[in-house]
Amino acid sequence: MQYPGRLIADTFALVARCGVLLILYWYVFKLNGGIVNGTPYIIVAWSMFFYFAFSTLRLRDISKSIMQDVQSGNVEVLFNKPVSYLGYRIWWQIGSGLYPFVVATVLGSIALALIVGIPHTMTVGIFLPTVFLVFIGASILSLILYSIVGLLAFWIEEVNPVFWMVDKAVMILGGSYLPVALFPPFMYKLALYSPFGASQFVTHTVYEQWHSEWYLLIGIQIFWILVLLITTLIMFKRAKEKVSVNAG
Amino acid sequence: MFKELRFALYATKKNIQSSAELRTSFLMNVVGMAINNTAFIILWVFFVQSVGIIGGWHAADIVGLQGFAALSYGIVFSLATGIRKLPDYVASSAFDRFMLSPKNLLLRVATSSFSASAVGDMVFGIICLTVYGFLIHVGLYQILLILVLLVLATVVFLAMMIAIFSASFYFIDSNAVTNGLFELFLTPSLFHGGAFQGAMRFIFTFLIPSLLIGALPVESVRDISIVKLGLVAVLAIIWLFLSVKIFNRAIRKYESSNFMTFGN
Repeated sequence: MQYPGRLIADTFALVARCGVLLILYWYVFKLNGGIVNGTPYIIVAWSMFFYFAFSTLRLRDISKSIMQDVQSGNVEVLFNKPVSYLGYRIWWQIGSGLYPFVVATVLGSIALALIVGIPHTMTVGIFLPTVFLVFIGASILSLILYSIVGLLAFWIEEVNPVFWMVDKAVMILGGSYLPVALFPPFMYKLALYSPFGASQFVTHTVYEQWHSEWYLLIGIQIFWILVLLITTLIMFKRAKEKVSVNAG
Repeated sequence: MFKELRFALYATKKNIQSSAELRTSFLMNVVGMAINNTAFIILWVFFVQSVGIIGGWHAADIVGLQGFAALSYGIVFSLATGIRKLPDYVASSAFDRFMLSPKNLLLRVATSSFSASAVGDMVFGIICLTVYGFLIHVGLYQILLILVLLVLATVVFLAMMIAIFSASFYFIDSNAVTNGLFELFLTPSLFHGGAFQGAMRFIFTFLIPSLLIGALPVESVRDISIVKLGLVAVLAIIWLFLSVKIFNRAIRKYESSNFMTFGN
């Protein structure tokens, strides 16, 4: 809340990416008689909105924070604090993005509901509890995934290229510019079974299949959380052993 | 004028040499960015496969669009990435040192920094435009068109960078505002050009000139349209003129924060 500029930036980004994209898709769907790949526009619009709303949480920025700590040497100071370094970074990241996320999501949802309406898939009783579960899972998985990228800074001189690749994999398989409904079959499978797609399962919640597949998708998410959490902890342990404190 | 340009070239040369010193990092940035950019091609090619041809745009045109956008982005960000650092310069008062320099202020700021990853964008852009040329079987006239349009797209990009980042002088938390505005300009330039029709096409051509970066140049080359070339040329000149005016007006708002430093 102390940084109103961040809210302005997120609003601009949401309008630039999501708003423009929704208008373009509206035109494309109109040309195709309102339905593409058996999916109506209203579903695609909400799916893409969920992706961009989730991105305003800025969980991916944890990579850069860890990378900066390592490159600046600040990590030595933070390791000596009586708190877990990764825990501190995770909570700091959640705190910094929560306010813009809540404001952008609430306002965006109201605007979208008024403009395109609410699909019937979002009015089913199971929607709200499962969307909450998958949102929590997506947040944890994103934080772990991007923490791994950040921790690579202990071994690699330049982490940015790795960050870009992971970020773009999340962007493609998460259903950002191309909604998951329009994915070719092999890409849909990749989105379903890779951690990159699993970190954005919130975009799947508005589709018809969600009601029959939600437990499978949440199961996949939990699997990746466990696998990547173990990887993170191992990497973090090794990273701590690599740190050498140089006084001065 | 030539003296200023010679200085700009010298500053750029030094920036490149400095970046190239960290060879592994430099190469990783270049290769990483080139791979990173392919994501947009994958996305929009699948889009074309799913929804069919929209506004006469084929998958090849997407390659051309990404080529124009990446190459103009790469040229501006490798030669004039200092403009993007204006919010930091202003906030930290590092801008003082540019004001004290006897060189042209805008040129001095622009060439104050270099982005290694932008070289990756350039490499990617060149590859895309070459592939695009093969895909649409370009003739000599179209090759000339591509070269001219590339220059014009770069001018538009540079002009918009100057105009957007001049906002740094008006806001306290300007980093967020300028990045938001930049996003608003850049993101639509990477979208499928055929989907911009009617009011959207007007807005993103005349008010926010995102389509001048890639979509209009691609259509101009594909249709061999002199009208579209003329439109891009006229708007590029207008935007460059306007952006320099905006910058010169904006710097009057600058106040040094009296930090005990002249920047790093």
